[in-house]
Amino acid sequence: MIARTTRAACAAVLGLAAAAFALAPGAARAQAYPARPITVVVPFAAGGPTDTVARLVAESMTKTLGQQVIVENVGGAGGTRGAGQVAKAAPDGYTLLLHHIGQATAPSLYRKLPYKVTDFETAGLITAVPMTLIAKPGYEPKTIADVIAYVKANKDKVTYGNAGVGSASHLCGMLFMSAVGTQLTTVPYQGTGPAMNDLVGGQIDLMCDQTTNTTGQIKGGKVKAYAVTTKDRVKSLADLPTMEEGGLKGFEVAVWHGLYAPKGTSPEIVAKLNAALGVALEDPKVVARFADLGTEPEPKDRRSPEFHKTYLTAEVAKWKPVIEAAGVYAD
Amino acid sequence: MGFVRNPKDVISGLLFIALAVLFAWQSRELTIGTAMRMGPGYFPLLLSGLLGLFGLIVLVNGLRTPGEAPSGIVWRALILLTLSTLLFGFAMKPLGFLPALGASVFLSTLASRKFHLMTALIITAVMCVFCWAVFILGLGLPLPLLGPWLGGY
Amino acid sequence: MELLDNLALGFSVALSLQNILYCFVGVLLGTLIGVLPGLGPIATIAMLLPITFGLPPVSALIMLAGIYYGAQYGGSTTAILINLPGESSSVVTAIDGHQMARQGRAGAALATAALGSFFAGTVATFLLALFAPPLADLALKFGPPEYFALMVLGLVASVTLASGSVVKALAMIVLGLLLGLSGQDIYTGVPRLTFEVDELADGFDFVALAMGMFGIGEIIRNLEDESQRSLVAAKVKSLMLTKDEFKQIIAPVLRGTILGSFLGILPGGGAMLSSFAAYSIEKKVSRTPMRFGRGAIEGVAGPESANNAGAQTSFIPMLTLGIPSNPVMALMIGALIIQGITPGPNVVTDKPDLFWGVIASMWIGNFMLVLLNLPLIGLWVRLLTVPYHVMYPAIIAFCCIGVYSVNNNTFDVYTMALFGVLGYALVKLDCEPAPLLLGFVIGPMLEEYLRRAMLISRGDPMVFITRPISATLLLLAAVALVMVLLPAVRKTREEAFKE
Repeated sequence: MIARTTRAACAAVLGLAAAAFALAPGAARAQAYPARPITVVVPFAAGGPTDTVARLVAESMTKTLGQQVIVENVGGAGGTRGAGQVAKAAPDGYTLLLHHIGQATAPSLYRKLPYKVTDFETAGLITAVPMTLIAKPGYEPKTIADVIAYVKANKDKVTYGNAGVGSASHLCGMLFMSAVGTQLTTVPYQGTGPAMNDLVGGQIDLMCDQTTNTTGQIKGGKVKAYAVTTKDRVKSLADLPTMEEGGLKGFEVAVWHGLYAPKGTSPEIVAKLNAALGVALEDPKVVARFADLGTEPEPKDRRSPEFHKTYLTAEVAKWKPVIEAAGVYAD
Repeated sequence: MGFVRNPKDVISGLLFIALAVLFAWQSRELTIGTAMRMGPGYFPLLLSGLLGLFGLIVLVNGLRTPGEAPSGIVWRALILLTLSTLLFGFAMKPLGFLPALGASVFLSTLASRKFHLMTALIITAVMCVFCWAVFILGLGLPLPLLGPWLGGY
Repeated sequence: MELLDNLALGFSVALSLQNILYCFVGVLLGTLIGVLPGLGPIATIAMLLPITFGLPPVSALIMLAGIYYGAQYGGSTTAILINLPGESSSVVTAIDGHQMARQGRAGAALATAALGSFFAGTVATFLLALFAPPLADLALKFGPPEYFALMVLGLVASVTLASGSVVKALAMIVLGLLLGLSGQDIYTGVPRLTFEVDELADGFDFVALAMGMFGIGEIIRNLEDESQRSLVAAKVKSLMLTKDEFKQIIAPVLRGTILGSFLGILPGGGAMLSSFAAYSIEKKVSRTPMRFGRGAIEGVAGPESANNAGAQTSFIPMLTLGIPSNPVMALMIGALIIQGITPGPNVVTDKPDLFWGVIASMWIGNFMLVLLNLPLIGLWVRLLTVPYHVMYPAIIAFCCIGVYSVNNNTFDVYTMALFGVLGYALVKLDCEPAPLLLGFVIGPMLEEYLRRAMLISRGDPMVFITRPISATLLLLAAVALVMVLLPAVRKTREEAFKE
């Protein structure tokens, strides 16, 4: 631990020194960036929703930056292995992290996390994928308000599936239970696939997951959908009400994604990355693909590194009590 | 070794029992729970017990029925091949793909009694070129050819 | 005939010059990379996934499917030639396939694998075309209790993989189960059996374990008597099957195909169970079970057909429901999403060209595999004549690269070294590694399904008996257990009497 702190401190000092050095002779070094391929670490397996987001964005950023932006999947330990690796990487802008909401929940979920959220520079938010509350086909309650009433009345009978400790579906479930004020039987799975299989097969009752994973099943009529978890309705699933419309005031959760650089990366490099990211989020191809996933790029007023930083801090604070109340840790 | 009639069984029995103890010790702090509501420790402890039991049966068998002793161990191959694998893992990050591969392949050729310096060097060179072509050039694996210690990144 | 129209559509898509080309490239790449030790289908697809991003969706999926079964095929080749299974389903092929190779029958073993796989692939393709939606519904009937019962059955069957002492085989299975439990408990998030090592938070890696136990362990073992090893390679007999052998494999291929087609549909381990369920059935029905483990051709034919049929039918839940049944299918879903297609129940109706095109291309791909591999057999067999002291450093290198590249993690390489030593020790003690590997794969699933079933039923163990499918499977497991243990008891008695 001491070694880690010392290393972080050294990195910070070195980073400051590098930044000062870069500023002094007319930012000559930042001008040259990027001089070689950039690696974006995705802390999850290839082919997952986060990987998809990363590959779409990386393709567009490659065009803008004039250097190959390579996606590297470093899965394991709920995203903390990949994040930890980037936290320790050189702050030169050539090793980046693309992580989702897990970046904000890991500090509470993992009591022995080998890095801190503050070990990163925020380079901008990318997209917030909405989530949907879905149930097995033919589930009794008709509307989201019915579900809430039903769950309150039958908490011993209802089973809620999730894709494992720390997954988005786990977070949404915790928030839902704390909003409704009841504890359901939680059935964890290894990933969304098997959980969805048991939901479609009627083995479990409820689940809440990203539109990326649920839109196909909802449109195909294989599951019953009740609500979306965002503040406003979602374009691709326009007839679904929001949780707030169903009576859960202030209920809002989305799988937001952000780009990070190791702490000490110079502001010029971060600005350059943020600008390239901004271009990617305007790229018609990216916008179209995001729409297929049931999501949209972050609006312009939420794209700055500063906003990302504030948002991250707020999210860390938001989830801490929810996770501590649930008493489930991943370490 | 008077009462040890089948050394192979006796050793495997002891090995299984030792591993069972190791695993049981590892799961000592886990909640066991009940058969109806199992905790994370239930399965590991149950299985450790089973492994110990089977180990005991194998051990007792070895004391009762005769059998042969294990043949000689090739220490040279065992040590050199283990070292060459470890070397690959150890050198990969700081030295990079090519040095790690080359060193590991060369070390592994020493394990054979038919070792010949010229052949070993040729194998090493061929493997380096072949793996570079297949994995780096062909498959585009993101592995640095030379690590940070050798001026790469 | 709607089916004929659909198949005609499928073949018109799959037979377009472009798609034939991608299918061929996929099959070829899959075979070539799958043949490298340490690189099974999952690693191969994960590496080649980005190549397909630039293609149209149908071509991308056709090529990925080609890589998948090509890699699976290549994996069997390595299992037979150098006793190195790249993934769980070829563990079984290695048992008798490699013994055949040692007896100079590598050609026959490879030909059996090719022909059995082709037959199974053809049948499974038609099953897919005819019954995909009802079969997918059947898969949905399998809840946690049914999967638990299936895993129990699989566990019992895995005892038959060993040809030596039954108690030792049982101990190896339990050891495998324990190793498989290592990592985070999915129900509570608590790390278990991790020996206080951070890298073990996700447990041991299968590839590292298999490459260590089979790859490194086997090489050390072979270096004990190098002269003998090269003698084996020298007496390569004819490459093709004899008439008798051909007759011998017909029934196993049929049984394997049926078994694999059914088990492949089940997500979560079905396809993996199929190959060794097929092996234990062959060993049970054989009049000469003692030949198994010593180069029985049925021990290659049955499992190879089963795993290819299973690989094919495991596409059913993915294509009809958008639910991945294994990590490979999850990768394919990712590829589809990147292509802008949301996998789900609507794909069949919204994108019939994709659905039927992929199905048709599977048959074409299997046909290409046979065309490609029958001539290659001669080449593979000739590889065996390479002096062993030249070949093994290459195998070690591939194992290292393969294991490292799965997670870009040096820890997995160290794990492989550790299991190499353990594997060698166990082989010296006449403990066979195959049951351990299967225990390793089944272990976490067995526990997961049991605890999930109890969670959903609120602690009522009667769910296993009141649900018909699970009750039937458990009954089968009980019968199988008696059948496995009886001859063992008799055998030990006989041995005891002999003295």
